[in-house]
Formats: sequence, C-alpha cells, structure tokens
Amino acid sequence: MSSTDLLLEAPDAAEVSTVGVDITARSPLQLFWRRFRQDKVAITALGFIVLLVLGAFVIGPLLARAFGLPGPNVQNSSALDQFGTPTGPSSGHPFGVDTLGRDILARVIAGARVSLIVAIVATAISVSIGVVVGMTAGYYRGWVDTLLSRLIDILLAFPILMLALGIAAACSLGNGCLGGLIKPGLTVVIFVIAFVNWTYIGRIIRGQVLSLREKEFVEAARSLGASNRRIIFREILPNLVAPIIVYSTLVIPQNILFEAALSFLGVGVQPPNASWGAMIADATSIFDSAWWYMVFPGAALLLTVLAFNLLGDGLQDALNPRRGR
Amino acid sequence: MNAVNPPSRAPDGTGRLMERTCMRTFMRASALAATLAFVVAGCGGGSEKKGTGGTASGAPVSGAKSGGHLDVLSASDIDSLDPGYWYYQYDYMAVGLPTQRWLYSWAPTATTPTPDIASGMPKTSADGKTVTIKIRPGIKYSAPLKGRTVKAADIAYAFARDLNPRTGNGYAGAYYANIVGADKVQSGKTDKLAGVTASNDTTLVIKLTKPTGAISTAQALALPGTIPVPEDYAKKYDKGSQSSYGQHQVFTGPYMIKNNGNGKLTGYVAGKRIELVRNPDWNGKQTGDYRPAYLDSITFLGGNDLAVGSRKILSGRSMISGDYAAPPTAVLKSALSSRKSQVSIHGAGSIRFIALNTKVKPFDNVNVRRAVAAVINKNTLRLTRGGPALGTIATHFIPPDLSGFDDAGGTAGPGADFTKNPQGDLQLAMSYMKKAGYSSGKYTGKSVLMVGDNQPPASKTGEAVQSQLQQLGFKLNYRQVPHPTMLSKFCGVPKAAVAICPNLGWGKDFFDGQSMVDPVFNGKNIAQTNNSNYAQVDDPKINSLLAKASASTDAGERSKLYGEVDKTITEQAYVIPWIWDNDVNLESSNVAGVNNKFNVSWDLVFTSLKGGST
Repeated sequence: MSSTDLLLEAPDAAEVSTVGVDITARSPLQLFWRRFRQDKVAITALGFIVLLVLGAFVIGPLLARAFGLPGPNVQNSSALDQFGTPTGPSSGHPFGVDTLGRDILARVIAGARVSLIVAIVATAISVSIGVVVGMTAGYYRGWVDTLLSRLIDILLAFPILMLALGIAAACSLGNGCLGGLIKPGLTVVIFVIAFVNWTYIGRIIRGQVLSLREKEFVEAARSLGASNRRIIFREILPNLVAPIIVYSTLVIPQNILFEAALSFLGVGVQPPNASWGAMIADATSIFDSAWWYMVFPGAALLLTVLAFNLLGDGLQDALNPRRGR
Repeated sequence: MNAVNPPSRAPDGTGRLMERTCMRTFMRASALAATLAFVVAGCGGGSEKKGTGGTASGAPVSGAKSGGHLDVLSASDIDSLDPGYWYYQYDYMAVGLPTQRWLYSWAPTATTPTPDIASGMPKTSADGKTVTIKIRPGIKYSAPLKGRTVKAADIAYAFARDLNPRTGNGYAGAYYANIVGADKVQSGKTDKLAGVTASNDTTLVIKLTKPTGAISTAQALALPGTIPVPEDYAKKYDKGSQSSYGQHQVFTGPYMIKNNGNGKLTGYVAGKRIELVRNPDWNGKQTGDYRPAYLDSITFLGGNDLAVGSRKILSGRSMISGDYAAPPTAVLKSALSSRKSQVSIHGAGSIRFIALNTKVKPFDNVNVRRAVAAVINKNTLRLTRGGPALGTIATHFIPPDLSGFDDAGGTAGPGADFTKNPQGDLQLAMSYMKKAGYSSGKYTGKSVLMVGDNQPPASKTGEAVQSQLQQLGFKLNYRQVPHPTMLSKFCGVPKAAVAICPNLGWGKDFFDGQSMVDPVFNGKNIAQTNNSNYAQVDDPKINSLLAKASASTDAGERSKLYGEVDKTITEQAYVIPWIWDNDVNLESSNVAGVNNKFNVSWDLVFTSLKGGST
C-alpha cells in the first residue's frame, strides 16, 4: 500500500521540484496510465473483461460455427436420461446440458452477451440521465435544485426491487408499456435498471458541481464573460470525467447483478433466451442432481462482477491518487 | 370434470386432485357451466400401474393387521372442513373417505360407485325423471349426536346445502343443476330444495327436470356432497354468508377428527395438523360399511417440503405421502432404483394437452392443426415432467379406465396418421401444411400468441413446444405467466385470443367420459370468463353427441357416445393430448399402503402397518 502511494506521488513531486530541468511533459492520460498499469489486480481484471467481451461477441460464435457446436437454444432430448434429468460435462457438452438438453457452455456464452449488453446500455442510460440532472441541479441551484433533488429523494425512497418487479411484470405482457416503446424482454430490463439507477449518480454529480462552481477557475471564466453553456461544458464537465468513469465502472457490476436478479425472479429475459440469472433459477430445483447447471453460470456471474469491481477500484486509485482507500 | 392444475410445485396439475388452489378458481367458474371437470395441470393421468414394474402394488391385502399409527406428510392442507365443500384429492384422502360415509363412494379398486349409505344402485323411473334410492338403516353419528341415526332426510338436506352458495361447493352446479328447484337454491331465494325428498327414513327420492345420466348411474352421487348432514343439528351453523358446520361436524365414518365430544374439533390446526382417531360410535360392521379401517390413528402433517418430505418417508417408518403429486425427479429416480417397493405409480385419470384456438388464425384451418399435432414430439414433452414414470403417451383425450376410453381406440388411439408417432414427424407435418396452403410446408404468416406457465416443469414443457413449433416455421409471441393467471386472464378468456395454450390439463370427477369431454368441448360451454372450452370448439356433431350422452342413463351407450366424441376431437385436432398422467405416491417400508383408484392416492381405510401395531 505505502509503496504504491510513493510511486504514485513521485511524478507530482518531481514536477514541482525540478522546474526548468529537461523532463518530458506528460498528459493527464499518460499520468493515469502510468499509475494504473502498476496495479496488477486491476490489469488482470481488465484483461478478463476484454476476454469476456471478445469471447461473448466474437470468439465464441466463431468457434461454435467452426466446430459445429450446438446453439444456445437447440434442444437435444437424447442428452437427457429416461427421467428427463440432464447429463453432466462430457466431450460433446463440456459444461453439461440443462433440463431441455441445451448445451450449457453455449448458454453461458449467450448469457454473457445478455449481461454485457444490459449492463453497458443500462449504465450508459442511467449515467447520462444522472449527469444531466446532477449538473442542472448543482449548477443552477435554487428552485431547479429543490425540484430535482426532491425528485431524487422520492425515487430513492422507493423499494427498488419491488418497483422493478412491478414495472417488469406490467410491461412483460402483451405489447409492453409506453405504446410499445418498452417491449417485454431485454428492453424492459434495461429500462427498469436505468430508471432506478440514475439517482445515485445524479446525487454524486450534483455534489461535485456544487463545489466546482465555486472554484477560482470557474470564477475566472465567469468574470471573462463566459456563458453558462461554456462554463458547464468546457470548465466543469472535464473535471467530472474521473468520477463519471469510476462510478460507471462500479455501477456495471451492480447492474449485471440486477439483471440476474430480475431474470432469476422470472421477469427478465424471456425464454428461450439465456440469462445467467434465469439459468441459476432453473438450476435451483435440481441442484442436488445437476450441479453443473448452477455452477457454470454462477461462476461466470461471480467472476464478471468481481472483475468489474476490481477494475473500478483500480481506476479510482489511478484517477484520484490522493484519495485514501 | 375438474380442471387439473399444477401441484404446488408442478405448475400444471390435475384439478380436483392435484392443485387445489388453482382448481378452486376454476371450479367456482365451472359451477356455472353445464358440466364441469377439474382442470388438470401438473397432475397426472395415465395407465394403471405397470404390472411388471415391481413397484408397490397398492392392492388391498388380505390378512392385514389392525392397529398402529400413521403419519401423512404433506405440503399443504385440506381446503375446507365442510363435507359440502370437499372436492380435491387431498380433501377426499384426508377426511372425505376416512371420516364420513357417502351415499355412494369408492372402494379401492372400484370404477363404478360402491353403495355406502345406499343399500343398492338407484332406480330410475321410465321417464328418467325420478330416481329412488334406498338407504341402510341404523348408521350412527358421532358425539354430540350419540345414538342419532342417519335418515334419508339428512341426505336431502346435504343436497340443498351443496347447491347453497354459502357452502362454496364446486361441482353441484354442474351435476345437480337438473334437480327440480336447484336454480332457486343456487340463486339464494330459498334454502329448501324441492326436488330431493325423503318419502320415509330409508327412502330418498330425487326429481329431475330431465333425464340425467350422471345421477341415474350414481356416478355424480358418489361425491362427498352426499355425506349426510342432520338439519336439526347443522341449522345453527348454516347461517350467514359462510357456513361454519365444518368446524362442528358430526362423523359417520370409522375415524373422526379429534374433538371434545361437544361438537368442537380439537384435532385440527390449519396448515399444520389434522389428527384422526377412531370414531367410537361407528357401527359400520353392523351397517354394511366396506371400510376395514385397520389403523388406530392417523396424523396429517402440513408444511413439509416436497423433497425433504419424500426422503423422510422413504427412509423413515410409518409414513406416507399426502398431497404431493410426485416426488422431485432426483428422489424418484433413486427411489425407483433402490426402494422400488415403496413407490406406488397409478394412472391419475387425467390428461395434459395443448389447445389450439379454432377462432384464431391460422388454427381455424384443420390441416394447420393436424400439422401441429404431427410435429409435436410427445416423448420430449413427457421428459420435461420426468419421463415414462410420470405418465403414458396420450393418443386421444379420455384417459384409461374411464368409460369411452376403449371406444375411442384404447391406448393405441383412433389411428390418425398425425397422432401415430410419439417422436413427432416433421415430414408429415409439412405435408399437412402444404394441404393447408403453405406451399413450402412451413408457416409464413404473422407471429402467433402462446401463453404458458412460468414455473417448471410446465415452463419447460412450454419451451419444448416452442422449439418444436419453430421447426414448422411458426413465429411465436410466447408469454410465461403464473398458472392461475394463465387460466383466468389468457387461456380461459376468449377475448384474449390466445392461439396456443401448451400447459392445460383436465381430470376426471368420476369414471365417466362426461366429466372429461363435456366441459372442454361442448359449444354451450364457451364462456367469456373462466372458459374451459379452451379451443372454442363449437362443432355441431360433437354438440349433438354430448346432448344425447348426458341424457342417456345406459352406461354402455354413454361409453360409446363419449368415445365417438373423443374420436371426433382427435380427428379434428382441436387439442393435442400428450400425456395421461400418473400419480406417484410414497410409503415407508413398514407400511402396507393401498391405492384408491378413484382418488389416485393412498386409501387410508385400507392401508395398514406390516405387523400391525408397532
């Protein structure tokens, strides 16, 4: 811990004490990268995530096509015994099959696509809403702030899981909600997650903006006659990049778990599509006879969430070195 | 005539027997229909126990020993204490058959009603409208009515109660609606039922508005609604919007729920425990009761997890399964390999089927329906429920042992090519699609709505159906919802226009085709809510056959007519029957369990402990 801090502090100290000496100027990005790559755990997590993305979207489907592996929704009742219970890992199905004879490896990969799409899209939407609302409230203050902050307070007071279940259930029937904009399945899940999650980042951004708007450089810009728009976008927003990145990375694993929870409870991804949460739910009733059905999607979920959390921690350290852990 | 719903764990169960909660919803609705049946969802129907299988035979044993105590492990509870309400398998098993005598009931292997309080079969007048039944004298009630005997008037009062809304009976509207004056009692105008009277203490006379086969053959009289209720004693409890007679009832059977002798039950704790002890006033030996009643006492324990309870029964002593439809597959698998003699598998007299809505395109076209029937792989669907142990592949609608089954072709079925291959036949299905005008042999139209259960195993069945239909080019808008919602908001509501319902079931009320096919296929029974004619079949040929059959009082003729209806159903592919369910019951190794064929569960008045009281 302390050795890392020393290393991280070193460049700043050098800049201050060696003015005029021949030294390469480093951009903030370079500084960040120098710090970040020291963090072996975060680098490993990043590597895992890159592999996961490649595996889910590129390598997995390519390999399946090349070797003629079964698709995630192909049912093969000959892989079941005479009681209809699934068979375990074998050369034909390295992760075993589920109760309909579907290949679990293929479904874990398909589930990874679902998890990543939901996590990234829902996070992007909730962060966008949160940033806009947070900046508006923090910068303009007054009645705008009161209105938006109370709205956030109200949303935070909702029992989130109940609300999500309610919305997801209501929108899972017929043609969905809001005139078909929110269709049953993935879009419901994404909408629900974005809807309940933007409030946290909204609050954080508002707090940051409240303090930034009183800083000298903002005063300076204002005294030079800069417009509100210029101050918001050119002065304040760049200073919010670090918290936004760190927060997004930490929200992604939460959203993956949220999607898994919704699918576990049966209101998420619709059958026959695969989702880790739905697979785990299916597996609970036969866990004592088919451990592979729960273990593989469970491990995939665990590792993915862990990787995003560790990456988030690493980013936070690298972007904000003075902040104690 | 019960809708079969899923057992608590199995999303689709048999109606009366299996899934009590679901059934109940269905039943109330059905009471309005001309006939009812219980909706089977998740419960089974099927063949007799496979003779050579070596599983517990469940046949009555000669030389059984008296004495001992038995525990019955269950997940849930009986639905009511009121004999006029009892309609579900567990009600019959726990309290119906052991604690009360019925006008007609069911000895373990009987497929025709067994005279119980009645001394013989009913006599029907030449015009078919008057039915006379003689009853046995001297049958005694338990305390506090010590010494009082059952009179014909008590049974007449029971009929009036059945039709009275405050009793909450689920089948009287279907089977007793032809009794003179039934409508007046049902609408609450009067408590007196004009059509059932006692001409003396031992003669019951039923007047009908038209000939009614189900009553003349005694099938619909072999229901717990015929358990005698003494009006002078019960009147004070039959008040208000709901009767409380159940909590204060008097017993006529060999057992009674433990009570304080003053008409208050002490042996019943809702959801937890029902304690049966011997009824000291039972004089069955002198009054022709067929029940041997070997055990001294029986306790029903609720709140037992299906898997844990099943394992306990198999490894423990003096225990049997209660309301479980079947143990989890893993438990069943190991039990059948190492404790086969403790597993009892019997046809449940119920069917599971896929309904194709004839009012929704493209299923208005008979060849599209036949194509779907041809492509469905019934073996795969059965595997989603646990494989061959859980039932027999169905080739038509009426399950084995019911009248009409043999007339419809028996196990082999009526023989249409599209029902022949239990694995499904894609080529044949495509040839039917071509006949229907799809030149490629695959469906090319808009996506169709399919609504199924959201709990396994029914949800798995639905997903298997989905994948099989996709082979035929169908694009499905497939929704999974809870079983009761599936029935009350989708498959039971014509306006919802659901094209395919993959998780339907139906079970018998008694061994007669009427309770199976009339509610599901009579055009008269298409209702705007709680519809049980899921495929919205309004076929003049079927309607006229059903009208003829329900008025027929000749068992042989009824059987032929219902068989004919079943053949037409299969030929037109209105529904695709895929399994006649089995019920799987468990017993500890020291229990000599006897199965009741009517109720498809343990018969507690014939079950005994090996070696007697231990």
